[in-house]
Amino acid sequence: MKRLFKNPFVLFLMAVLLIVAAACSDDSTTEESPDEGSDGSGEESSEGDGLSGTLEIQYFVGGYGDSWWKEVIGDFQEQHPDLEIVEHAGPNINEEMRSRWVSGDPPDVVYIDGAGSSETQMVEDGQLMNLSDWVQDIELEDGTPLLDSFIVEPATYDGEIHSLPLVFDTWGTWYDISWFEEEGFEVPTDFESFMSSMGDIQESADIAPFVTTGQHPYYFLRGMLYPAFGAAGGNELLEDVITGAEGAWTSEPVLEVMKKVEKMQQEGYIDEGFAAINHTQSQMNFLLHDNAYIPVGFWLPNEMEGDKPEDLEYGFIPSPMNDAGEPMAVVPDLRPLAIAEQAENPEAAKAFVEFVFTKEYAKSFSEHTGAIMNLEGVDLASNENVPQYLIDANEMINDPEQAQIYHKPHPMSADLETPISDSLVSLMLGNITAEEFVEEAEEAAAEYRNNQ
Amino acid sequence: MVQSKKQKYLFLAFCLVPTFILFSIFTLYPLFSGLYYSFFDMSGSSQAREFVGLDNYIRLFKDEIIPATIWHDYFLVITKVIGIMIMAMFIAVALTQLKIKEAPFYRIIFFFPNIMSVVVIGILWAFIYNPDLGLINSGLEFLGLEEWQRAWLGNEDWALTSLVLPSIWAGIGLFMLLLMGGIANISKSYYEAAHIDGANEWQQFWKVTLPLVWPQIKISILYIVITTLNGSFIIVQVMTGGGPNNATHVMGSYLYQQAFQQYNFGYGATIGVMILVISLITVLILQLLLKRDKVEY
Repeated sequence: MKRLFKNPFVLFLMAVLLIVAAACSDDSTTEESPDEGSDGSGEESSEGDGLSGTLEIQYFVGGYGDSWWKEVIGDFQEQHPDLEIVEHAGPNINEEMRSRWVSGDPPDVVYIDGAGSSETQMVEDGQLMNLSDWVQDIELEDGTPLLDSFIVEPATYDGEIHSLPLVFDTWGTWYDISWFEEEGFEVPTDFESFMSSMGDIQESADIAPFVTTGQHPYYFLRGMLYPAFGAAGGNELLEDVITGAEGAWTSEPVLEVMKKVEKMQQEGYIDEGFAAINHTQSQMNFLLHDNAYIPVGFWLPNEMEGDKPEDLEYGFIPSPMNDAGEPMAVVPDLRPLAIAEQAENPEAAKAFVEFVFTKEYAKSFSEHTGAIMNLEGVDLASNENVPQYLIDANEMINDPEQAQIYHKPHPMSADLETPISDSLVSLMLGNITAEEFVEEAEEAAAEYRNNQ
Repeated sequence: MVQSKKQKYLFLAFCLVPTFILFSIFTLYPLFSGLYYSFFDMSGSSQAREFVGLDNYIRLFKDEIIPATIWHDYFLVITKVIGIMIMAMFIAVALTQLKIKEAPFYRIIFFFPNIMSVVVIGILWAFIYNPDLGLINSGLEFLGLEEWQRAWLGNEDWALTSLVLPSIWAGIGLFMLLLMGGIANISKSYYEAAHIDGANEWQQFWKVTLPLVWPQIKISILYIVITTLNGSFIIVQVMTGGGPNNATHVMGSYLYQQAFQQYNFGYGATIGVMILVISLITVLILQLLLKRDKVEY
């Protein structure tokens, strides 16, 4: 050993290793104080009429496309010519920007949507600015306070607001109006008529009427089960299953819902190949009439724009998992806009967020994306540029006799959603029973609670 | 000219130090970082973390999915080693010994999958397995074997087995070339002598070819084992995402899910440490099992 350390070459190598290790090591394991970064904007931000410095905006581009973003950002740029706006956008932007967030150098504004993003996790990690006080003073162009103008209020974490719900999305069940009219298929209004309609379709078209993606089982969970839980037990049950409350998953209403799913499987209404396909493949099957019903959000027509057969006419209904005589259930799924806690230009970020929330842009959002922005009082019905399915869906959602809106407290944690989704696929494949499913889900909820 | 000691050390440093620095940055540092992070509870999406000691390791031993992922990895290792080695050896012998005129053409054809990205291979085979439009189900229908049709990647019993075929298809070419190189180095005189002694081609293969290409076979097996344990997650991720109901999760894909989809980065790092330990133990055992004296005639 002594000889080894006498060797100057070995000593040199060890010194290099030490230097490299020191250079690469992290010097801190603590978070920065919440105030740091959020107010240090004086130099870069508002001066005189316009804003200056750099404003970085991260937005996910999925089914809604990016044309609305381009329009809004373009208009904002025109108002603030001295401001340099950097856009970080794309279908994988959440993954691409992850290292920026981890290293404490995030963009200023973030639209939280798509795979790889989690608002709950970002709040838990202290990455989003507390907007509670600031948002109180924000008003729309007509002077209405923004907080009074949302269709669905912002999510709160310990009573604090960290994001503003931009997109009012909702999952539902899609069908082809033209095909249904041509073949005389019944459009369901409850689970009973849903089953009877699927039976007719199976018999006359010789297809499995229902399809979803098994590679992303949350499509079924959010698109069919959340409304079913809402219809069966209201907001309370919805909250209990999402938070994994003790006994929620083995409760009678949940078991009843799962028995409905089991029945769909036993009757052969769920496409046997669903577990092998991803969301675009399942949507393609729907467009090709290989299946008749599919649970997806409002983004479906925009996402499949290039593949839509000419004669297909999109029809949207809230997922009919409700019992006969009860209104169908809608569970909004909100996509928020937020400002990073460590934003380098928070004044510009706040100005941009304020700029976005106007009725004019809400109207333009529906025209561009075929979805709804989370603002009340936007006239869609008389707008020729808004697709018909959205006008119909909007009307249906706002008619309490047809549909009842239920609210989830926040998105389900991935730690709970993943094991439940796994068991759900097994149930839908017919490998386990509804009773076994609820037991497995309850176990997953117990483990989730223990890890909190 | 005799080099001085100083010159010798300078030359050694010139050759080794740059490599050593890069090795330290890109291999040693991530390795030790992974080990370090395995003792923390962290989401991986921010700098916030909490030291939890051995909690992640305790969780690892209690996690019911982990034994399944290890089995799935070894299932792929075993089937890939057997499938690739048999096919690669068969093709290598055929292309070198049977004097096929189109041998260079076949060599290119069989090597072609090796220059394709694994992601592309995964997507391609996902289409081949597609329950409605895929080549396999269409082929079965054509042959009148409708009862054999199934959603291959969506079936809990068949999904893992279905991943073997693309994995073998993608791996044959490289090992075929390696074995062809070994076979080409065997002197023709051994085969002539064996022929004169009355050995048929099958006996020549077992008594001459196989012993003399043993070093290449050994390297190939080790390489397949290591690359499968470390890299099979790509094909899993692309083709099934670990589903249905975890039926195809391998250690790497489960690591990815935990670290980047469920935001349990610390636990993901712990799974990474487990993969390292298991790979090391496997390679050591294989070294012992494959130990065989070099054959020379």
